[in-house]
Amino acid sequence: MIYDRPIYRPLGDMFVDVEFGDELHLALNFRVLGLNLSLAERPVPGVTETVPSNRALMIAYDSSIVRQAALIDALREREEEATKLRRAPSRVVTIPVWYNDPWSDECAKAHGAPNNMEYLAEINNTTVEGVIAAHSGSEWWVTSVGFQPGTYQALPLDSTFSISAPKYPRPRQWTPERILCQAGKITSFYPVRSPGGYQLLGRTPVDLYDPLQRNEVFRESPVLPVTGERHRYVPIGEAEYHEIRRQVEQSEYRYDIQEGEYSLDDYLARLEAVQAGVA
Amino acid sequence: MFEVIDGGPQTTVQDLGRPGYLHTGMPPSGAFDSFSLRVANLLVGNNPGGRYLVGRDPGDAGLEILLLRCKLRATADHVIAVTGGDLSPTLDGDPLPMWQTVRVRAGSVIAFPKPRLGVRAYLAVAGGIDVPTFLGSRATNLRAAVGGIEGRGLKAGDQIRIGEPACLLSQLEGRAWPEAARPAFGVPWTLRVVLGPQDHLFTPESVETFLTVDWKLSPISDRMGCRYIGPKLEFLPRPDYLVEQAGSDPSNIVDDGTPLGGIQVPSGLEPIVMGADMPSFGGYAKIATVISSDIGIVGQGMPGEVVRFRAVEVAEAEEIGLAQDGLIAESTVVFGR
Repeated sequence: MIYDRPIYRPLGDMFVDVEFGDELHLALNFRVLGLNLSLAERPVPGVTETVPSNRALMIAYDSSIVRQAALIDALREREEEATKLRRAPSRVVTIPVWYNDPWSDECAKAHGAPNNMEYLAEINNTTVEGVIAAHSGSEWWVTSVGFQPGTYQALPLDSTFSISAPKYPRPRQWTPERILCQAGKITSFYPVRSPGGYQLLGRTPVDLYDPLQRNEVFRESPVLPVTGERHRYVPIGEAEYHEIRRQVEQSEYRYDIQEGEYSLDDYLARLEAVQAGVA
Repeated sequence: MFEVIDGGPQTTVQDLGRPGYLHTGMPPSGAFDSFSLRVANLLVGNNPGGRYLVGRDPGDAGLEILLLRCKLRATADHVIAVTGGDLSPTLDGDPLPMWQTVRVRAGSVIAFPKPRLGVRAYLAVAGGIDVPTFLGSRATNLRAAVGGIEGRGLKAGDQIRIGEPACLLSQLEGRAWPEAARPAFGVPWTLRVVLGPQDHLFTPESVETFLTVDWKLSPISDRMGCRYIGPKLEFLPRPDYLVEQAGSDPSNIVDDGTPLGGIQVPSGLEPIVMGADMPSFGGYAKIATVISSDIGIVGQGMPGEVVRFRAVEVAEAEEIGLAQDGLIAESTVVFGR
């Protein structure tokens, strides 16, 4: 559900949530970004940081400067501006992925699960090649960054993307670092070795989190992904994987990042066409 | 300098953390009981920093000492103050008074043998702990392995460098923190909360249960979050699209931001209060949020101890938080014994 007007929910005396809806929808994420951009351009005194997520903007505030009640009044005046965002600045980050890599296979087997790509192919009536073609064939929209440093969630911008992935019934105790994964239709990422329950798609040789901030893309922040950017996943094989990894470890790798913007209305028009075609 | 004789189960360098990176998933880290660290720093003439998380000044770094066994040797003369949980601290075998400045001589041994009340003690030393900063803070984040000393807890043999004190050590003698201005430690622990953001997803009876029963702190608790054992909480029925999008468990929501002190209740079992090394978002309904003044109390419970949650309104929570912050001032310090 996308609410007509956002609901303000208290999170104690240091945070407030501006919740635009309760589901996963690009239109909701645009409202979150709209409000976030508005607060970046014209800050509300007392707001110390903001955390955009799929459907809500979490706002930290200093109550010695602004009380929550007054902050909510100030935010209400931004509601319209938030819903007006139709084109968002959105860079495109190209990420090479060794789909169906041996580490994912080993990890699945160590936890008593079948090869995850073969499993996804089977339950989605396709082949491993079909899963790879579908996943790398869509652009992905990063709706939120966090959980742990460098983790993100991304929605497929190709409305025909139909591969669906159930979560593991029992979460894994570990997942190797730099593994791309999927649950439902969301793509996510394990930046460091972590427990988790998403299906494993493949491994990227590039760092999206580097606490040592070695590459210039990490100069401002040790975390590369930002909410509202797009990802393109490019399938690579074993040799290319190792060559790129070598470049990353020697800080020689040049990340492929293109500035751009994205239109919500174009997305909604395509979504409507796809839904009309299905109906 | 301090030399570590025994790091105990978890002794970490902490200041008030690195806010401003929540949108990247980087937790704030910093002292779990930030008020106690700020008092210790103030007593020894260090920078106590701003308010935790929303103030932009991490202040000087001290040590957060968990539970027991930690033992340090001073290799030069220092002035220290120990606050927070009472781990029966000693100086060369004699009881070391807490909440006041103490002069330690080169060769002296400071030990934290066993917990009496609370589990996290804070040690500040005039001049502050001198380690490199990461994203503007010296705080240790064990999970991300950043900050502090190589992103880890202290171990035997570590040499801890101390910064230059802001004033003569003799000027710091006799400074103490009045009892009335200390946090309310005691079992049962009471944590004040503001209901929300997702209390509306629970049955009204379960919200009532949450606020009235005695919870027991689970041993599966750390700086990321503290779990509480008690009755199962129930959820209201959900529309089908949320079952599909958020997940099949009734506690699942489409992921949103997790605040410090936020209380997730996965599957309605064992509420988890998010601590300083928390994940920044999650997909479980949050029934309430512990207020800023009581976050430190969350980090002081011992597994098995009784904890109660009590609801307050936002405006009251703000007053309590501001009043506590207002205590961090030179005018609160008392002199002599």
